[in-house]
Amino acid sequence: MTYYNNAVITKRELLVRLIQLLDNDSLLDKIDRIPVEMRPRTNSPIRCCVHKDRAVIKYKIMALLGFNIADEEDELTPLKEYAVQALEGYTQNGNFLTVVDEACSSCVQVNYTVSNLCQGCEGRPCQVNCPKDAIMVINGKANIDHQKCVNCGICQKACPFHAIAYLPVPCEESCPVKAIRKNEDGIEEIDFEKCIHCGKCMTACPFGAISEKSQILNLFYNIKHQKEKTVAMVAPAILSQFKASASQILSSIKAIGFDEVMEVAEGANMTTDHETNELLERLDEGARFMTTSCCPSYIEFTEKHATELKPYVSDTPSPMAYTAQLAKERYPDHKAVFIGPCLAKRTEAYKNPNVDYVITTEELGALFAALKIDFATNNDDSVVAEIVRPESRGYASSGGVTNAIKTALSTEHNIETELIDGIDKKNIRLLKSLPKKKSTDASFYEVMACENGCINGPVNVSPLKVSQNNLKKAMREIEQKQTVEEINA
Amino acid sequence: MLNPIKYKVQICCGTMCYIMGGAELHLLNDSLPFQLKDKVSIEGIPCFGRCDSNEKIHPCVLINGEELDNATTQKIIKKLLTLEDNDLL
Repeated sequence: MTYYNNAVITKRELLVRLIQLLDNDSLLDKIDRIPVEMRPRTNSPIRCCVHKDRAVIKYKIMALLGFNIADEEDELTPLKEYAVQALEGYTQNGNFLTVVDEACSSCVQVNYTVSNLCQGCEGRPCQVNCPKDAIMVINGKANIDHQKCVNCGICQKACPFHAIAYLPVPCEESCPVKAIRKNEDGIEEIDFEKCIHCGKCMTACPFGAISEKSQILNLFYNIKHQKEKTVAMVAPAILSQFKASASQILSSIKAIGFDEVMEVAEGANMTTDHETNELLERLDEGARFMTTSCCPSYIEFTEKHATELKPYVSDTPSPMAYTAQLAKERYPDHKAVFIGPCLAKRTEAYKNPNVDYVITTEELGALFAALKIDFATNNDDSVVAEIVRPESRGYASSGGVTNAIKTALSTEHNIETELIDGIDKKNIRLLKSLPKKKSTDASFYEVMACENGCINGPVNVSPLKVSQNNLKKAMREIEQKQTVEEINA
Repeated sequence: MLNPIKYKVQICCGTMCYIMGGAELHLLNDSLPFQLKDKVSIEGIPCFGRCDSNEKIHPCVLINGEELDNATTQKIIKKLLTLEDNDLL
């Protein structure tokens, strides 16, 4: 869930500025000025001083150019040099997150701290109950010795004045698979052997210290200078992210300069049909249950943390994979660009030779904003594929895949379904218990890494409630269109 | 019958305003205090061109036609309450 905060706005402002500079052909001349322009001397600094703020901006730009901050060899390398490499295109390594160490505030090593509510009481239950003898009372106030404290939390429970506070480390707390930890300098590091690219750490960090490695500049440079032909593959969740109709959004994407625009919902039609047949076959063959396969973060989870689940995961390609296949058939000399709300799609695309670029809702929004593309003047109905089913657009919301499959199933099949909405610690325990059970409550499990589904993805721009309404509208648009066609026919 | 809608809040849905915080403003109705409930209409409108200036003004809204820059839910409510107070005097 993208909570609205200033760190998010900084990222979007950076994206807009970079795209504007590239659009004016002045990226290389002016990129090194961005930190100074965005953090002028006259503003009161966010961190210790304006110079630190500027350094943070510099490294955030480096990440948006697609680089790993840890790969920096010389601190004096100007952004211009990275930009030159970014425009040429760089080789990816399959890891799409990087920690902006300059921005990481190295949140507390020890999670418990004594606040000034401490009354210095006679009982001192915090001190007498501490199993590590880590609490000393100095000048009538309790103090925690960080060398001795093991974060057990007994002192917090023992204090009758609620004087001991728990201070979380937001990124670590949000990670469902314990893939992010501090190094010896207190800076967070991501373990890519464990990371499932769900993006939860990125949205949790209020310093914006975890950034995705973007391809946006490389892509936009190639579009602008017509170096390659492109086909945009637009995820259904994108239709929920702006206050405009589906045909307005799709034709505005075309106005950016994409040669062709396809809806990933077209691929979702195929996923539904294939997955429905697969489910029936598997159940006929005696399988206890099957899970969905369209959420790439869930797939990464089964590969890295729950290989025992893999035999139960559907083999059906995701809507993106089907759409990319269609794209390569229809437009063989075009580069396929997936546009979606998802960080993990970057890893799925990296493994899929049919997908060449991935850009996110935020990056799409930055493109619209920087190029001043107005939804009102772009409303070409012909970009909407005719065969898209309303339920296929519904994939973007939790329960959408189940709904599509139930609609496709003939009424004689009565299949119990269950939704696993969001990969968190509780749902991980549930998922891992499924293969061990003799019989499961349901025979079809829909698994979504993001609670509420793709419309609540980590790189979205609309609040959830607005997204839900917009998606319903986008689904109704097709229903109405189909009704009109039926009446005409 | 008297039309109860006294205040018209128009939120710019140009993408710049939208991604720089305008999206959140569409939830305004959830935060309205009781004295304003049912008196405010909220709608999205296309970009009305304020962003041509070089200043940082996003997101923009119009309240009864009057421009409010760098709008936040709290700023809008404050403005509406001022209008309401003046009206009751």
